[in-house]
Amino acid sequence: MRRPPEGATRRFWRAGPAKYTAVLRTQLAHGLAFPADLALRSLAIVIFMWVFIHLWRATYAGAGQSRVQGLSLSDTLWYLVLAETIMLSKPRVSTEIARAVRDGSVAYQLARPFNWLGYQAAVALGDALARGGVTFVLGGLVVWLAVGPPPPLWGWPLAGLAVIVAWLIDFCMSALIGLLSFVVEDVTAFEWIYSKLILVLGGVLLPLDFLPDGWRQLVQALPFAHMIWAPARLFVSPDAGLFLRLFGGQLAWLMVLSLGLGAAYARAQKRLAVNGG
Amino acid sequence: MTTLRRIRVELSFLAALWKTNLLAALEYRASFISQVLGMLLNNAAFLAFWLLFFQRFPKVNGWGMRDMLGLYGMTATGFGLGVVLFGNALSLADIISQNGLDPYLSLPRPVLLHVLASGSRISGWGDILTGLLCMALLGPPDAAAWLRYGAAALVSMIVFISFLVLVASLTFWIGSASALSGSAINAILAFATYPMSIFDGSAKLILLTVIPAGFIGALPADFVRHYTGRGLAQLAAAALVFLALALIAFHRGLRHYESGGLATGMGG
Repeated sequence: MRRPPEGATRRFWRAGPAKYTAVLRTQLAHGLAFPADLALRSLAIVIFMWVFIHLWRATYAGAGQSRVQGLSLSDTLWYLVLAETIMLSKPRVSTEIARAVRDGSVAYQLARPFNWLGYQAAVALGDALARGGVTFVLGGLVVWLAVGPPPPLWGWPLAGLAVIVAWLIDFCMSALIGLLSFVVEDVTAFEWIYSKLILVLGGVLLPLDFLPDGWRQLVQALPFAHMIWAPARLFVSPDAGLFLRLFGGQLAWLMVLSLGLGAAYARAQKRLAVNGG
Repeated sequence: MTTLRRIRVELSFLAALWKTNLLAALEYRASFISQVLGMLLNNAAFLAFWLLFFQRFPKVNGWGMRDMLGLYGMTATGFGLGVVLFGNALSLADIISQNGLDPYLSLPRPVLLHVLASGSRISGWGDILTGLLCMALLGPPDAAAWLRYGAAALVSMIVFISFLVLVASLTFWIGSASALSGSAINAILAFATYPMSIFDGSAKLILLTVIPAGFIGALPADFVRHYTGRGLAQLAAAALVFLALALIAFHRGLRHYESGGLATGMGG
């Protein structure tokens, strides 16, 4: 009796997460192999945090309040350290996928014995962890010197977990944009729009708590907010109730986007045409 | 050749290069339009951030949304003009370190001018358009204000390009300044798009000397709002000083230039 062909999802679970953990570990080691180079590339956060320290000091002084929407000056700056870390460290998944589709290297990758999406996610997470760690340390040092120590340590694992889910949400959305290259040749315009949506609706430059009341609830429900605002807010206000609400929202968006990505990947595979050898 | 005639010749050469760059960009019309619109959208996102910010905090050290429109518009215009007219300034460090100056050295034109103007960034048109839109949004048309805007944008562009040339020229001595050049671009744009009034004395000094972001955004924008003879003199002096420093650094560095003789193309 012939065995029915194995689906991609089934292959993923049969191979077990060990294979993808190994890919992640390799990518992380690769990212950390040249720490000086990594630190130089992560210097942007030092510049941004220096500007933010001046901006928010002047803003809080002008507002004449020690807390705005429940956030102190220190909270706001530590929020921005994590928000910028997530943003600056997220890998350019869509660009890589679009390049692989355009130059045909996707054909070689698909033939390898792993689930292609699982492999891409492990590579992306490995890159993000390497870069994110260094970026956070550099940005954190600048802010620590300016406004004092970070939020309590016991909240860090909660925020760390939320950051990993945030990068996975970004992976799903970014990979969806990358897969568009099976339909349109150039996905740059979609990448730009996506990055600007994160910038404004994610809360990269401004904690979403500061938005006008009507907008706040709406924007906080979107996936962009669950990528940036949710982990950064958890970091500065660690609280079990808030964690359950925001982490639950993150998992819900991750599930919806993963299903969407799986469906888009299945369709993209049908459109794949490889010429030559 | 008299100096005046030489300037005329170089200007007509520049005009020919710019025309060629524009025609090349317009050859791919859809790509041109999408890049210009993309940059407009990019700038709109930053202005949306400031709009939301000033709704919560109406004034920061005397600054409001109108001031921010002026500042952002000026920085966008200076940056846009710079990357459209002298687009290779953004990648000059790479051009130097990868033997890219070779083809320019063998031609009878000023090397720096030639290499800078041989490339053009299409998205810069979106920045120029953003600047014009900000200026239009700021109030009723006033010929004098538009004249000041033109002069201030020219200064902003000269200081920006001169700064990039200065940083890229370090390549002649240190081998590769690509990462440094990237950080310098990030830094100058980040500082130029925030009000000077939020920075204290020592930070202001840095922003008018080491990283001259103040001469790209805040001071030219101030000059557009109110004319003062002192403001005009400051801008003119800044443009001349940074231009002179860039020319000296590049030409001194050029004496150290060594090439492996790899065949490289021109352009950006």
